[in-house]
Amino acid sequence: MQISTRNTDHQATLTLQGRFDFHTHRDFRTAYEQPLDDSKIKEIVIDLGGVEYLDSSALGMLLLLRERAESLGKTVSLAKMQGTVKQVLDVANFDKIFPMKA
Amino acid sequence: MPLHALKILIVDDTPANARLVETVVSRMGHATLIAENGQQALDLFEAHEPDLVLMDVMMPIMDGIAATKALRQRLQAAQRWVPILLLSALDDITDIVRGLEAGADDYVVKPVNIQLLKAKVQNFTHQIEMQEQILQHTAELEKWREQAQAQTELGSHIMDRLVSDRDTHAMVGQLNIPAEDFSGDLVCSAHTPDGILHLLLADATGHGLPAALTAIPIAHAFYRMTGKGFPITSIAKEMNQKLRQFLPPDRFVAVTLAAINVEDQTIEVWNGGNPSALLIDESGKLLKEWGSTHPPLGILPEANFSEHFEVVGYQDNCHLLICSDGLWEAEDQSGRRIDRDRVLQLLAATSKDTHLAALQAMIGHHLAGKPAQDDISCLLAWAPVEQRDLPRVDDQGTPHLQHSGEWNFAVCYWAEDLKYLDVVPPLLDLMCQIHALKPHKGSMFIILSELFNNALDHGLLGLDSSLKLSGDFVQYLQHREERLGQLNNGRISITLRLHNIDGQSVLDVTVADSGPGFDYSRYLDNEELLHQTDRPHGRGIGLVRKLCDHLRYAGNGNQVSARFLL
Repeated sequence: MQISTRNTDHQATLTLQGRFDFHTHRDFRTAYEQPLDDSKIKEIVIDLGGVEYLDSSALGMLLLLRERAESLGKTVSLAKMQGTVKQVLDVANFDKIFPMKA
Repeated sequence: MPLHALKILIVDDTPANARLVETVVSRMGHATLIAENGQQALDLFEAHEPDLVLMDVMMPIMDGIAATKALRQRLQAAQRWVPILLLSALDDITDIVRGLEAGADDYVVKPVNIQLLKAKVQNFTHQIEMQEQILQHTAELEKWREQAQAQTELGSHIMDRLVSDRDTHAMVGQLNIPAEDFSGDLVCSAHTPDGILHLLLADATGHGLPAALTAIPIAHAFYRMTGKGFPITSIAKEMNQKLRQFLPPDRFVAVTLAAINVEDQTIEVWNGGNPSALLIDESGKLLKEWGSTHPPLGILPEANFSEHFEVVGYQDNCHLLICSDGLWEAEDQSGRRIDRDRVLQLLAATSKDTHLAALQAMIGHHLAGKPAQDDISCLLAWAPVEQRDLPRVDDQGTPHLQHSGEWNFAVCYWAEDLKYLDVVPPLLDLMCQIHALKPHKGSMFIILSELFNNALDHGLLGLDSSLKLSGDFVQYLQHREERLGQLNNGRISITLRLHNIDGQSVLDVTVADSGPGFDYSRYLDNEELLHQTDRPHGRGIGLVRKLCDHLRYAGNGNQVSARFLL
């Protein structure tokens, strides 16, 4: 999976490309360390537009990030999900846990 | 200085040759041993276990070929590899071939070229290092494998114990196809004391032992609370709390809980994170689906947990099918999945007793010998339309006990508490601690819950039971939820008294509410009405009447007393 990060003012956007699953664990963690450390960043947006597959351990990673971000007073939102990715998030009712963006 | 200092055995009957070789390898930093013939080489090898052997061919007593053969045999028996380098004159090419055939790894022609010898020893040093690394990794892997095996056995044992040792119900069938050695999906079913069938399908993150670990508190809560008569939403809430307590944030469990009430012909489903539960009639038609309306358990804090569930009534025999996502995501060789219509068609085409076998066969055919990518589990429950006089019988096996002396318990609940409390299960739990009462758990649950529900539904909430009469139980429950939310005052008191009358142990259950009461004379005058059990209306009280020695109303109808003979 490819992850690119873009920061604007108080927001960091992590754009994910490819399969978001168990094997992505280390890359994903590394990618969110910087926005977590940066005190200017108040919101972390996970852009799932380029994700073609997402499994339950990916959901777990999102929950873990949310837990850490909240303890630092930051929010995590999910954006641009579609197709099977959206289906998986719908079944898990993640819209009741994360703010969702178009 | 080489990376790795070897112990090298030099075998040569000519001392000058042996010394030359010794000098070369010593300078490379290796330790040496010298043998004068093949026999001595075997003895030294045994005693010192060298890493590399440099073997001359022509020697007295035992030549290099025979010694190589013997060494290779010993090493093979011990499943070890030590390289043997032959030193031989060029015109002895036949000897060299024989030596290689006997198990030597390489050769150097004599007179020995020092550069060549050094290069070959260096090569073997690398090979030996690699060999050692491989052996070390193999040993580590073996250790890991044994540990993983032990964990698998433990997990498998736990899952077995969680699902077996329980009553199997004629109404429920299940199938389970694990992705690995055993399935991490948990499928359970159990009856409440008043005969409502509870079903559970839980799918934890991951497979194997991690999944089995999360299954423990879930199965425990399910059986314990069902046995006490708690509703499925209370069970889901409790499971969520338990999982939140000890799971890390990235672990959760998708759970579907269902309750089939054959008496009322209703089905309730609470689905958090699983594929839709499907209600299917006998012709394979989909009557209702309950999609996931909650996040999986173990994520939300208690304050955000929603108990909302959907109940439907059914008028004809039907099936409830609950499956893990492993079923719908299982891909065949060309990446196709099993779609819902295919399953519905299959159910339509097979008879009730062969549904699961047919489903299993279909999945097997779909996977075509490949292992499933995820655990596949399905639970199929039969929801029949049937009329029974009594929903269940008490334990027949246990001898009924007499109770000497007296046991009393009185409790009063106010509107504020009635909104959220499960009143009957904890009371039943308390009663079952009395040995004499325990065998009558089922009867006591029915008596207590019918009297309590009447007091709440009709006494305090003023619900009209004709709604039940019209068969619209679902609408009745909606009214009930609304009015309970608006309830501001009122109370219900319950008194339990276990005592003896002429040597017979009796339990008196009295329930009083603060509502306006009703004209009970109508019921007392009409014995027939009290005995009607074929209609939802008044059936509950009819049941209590059958179970009890007598049932009496008092006050303005807002007080009722039932006497149960043990």
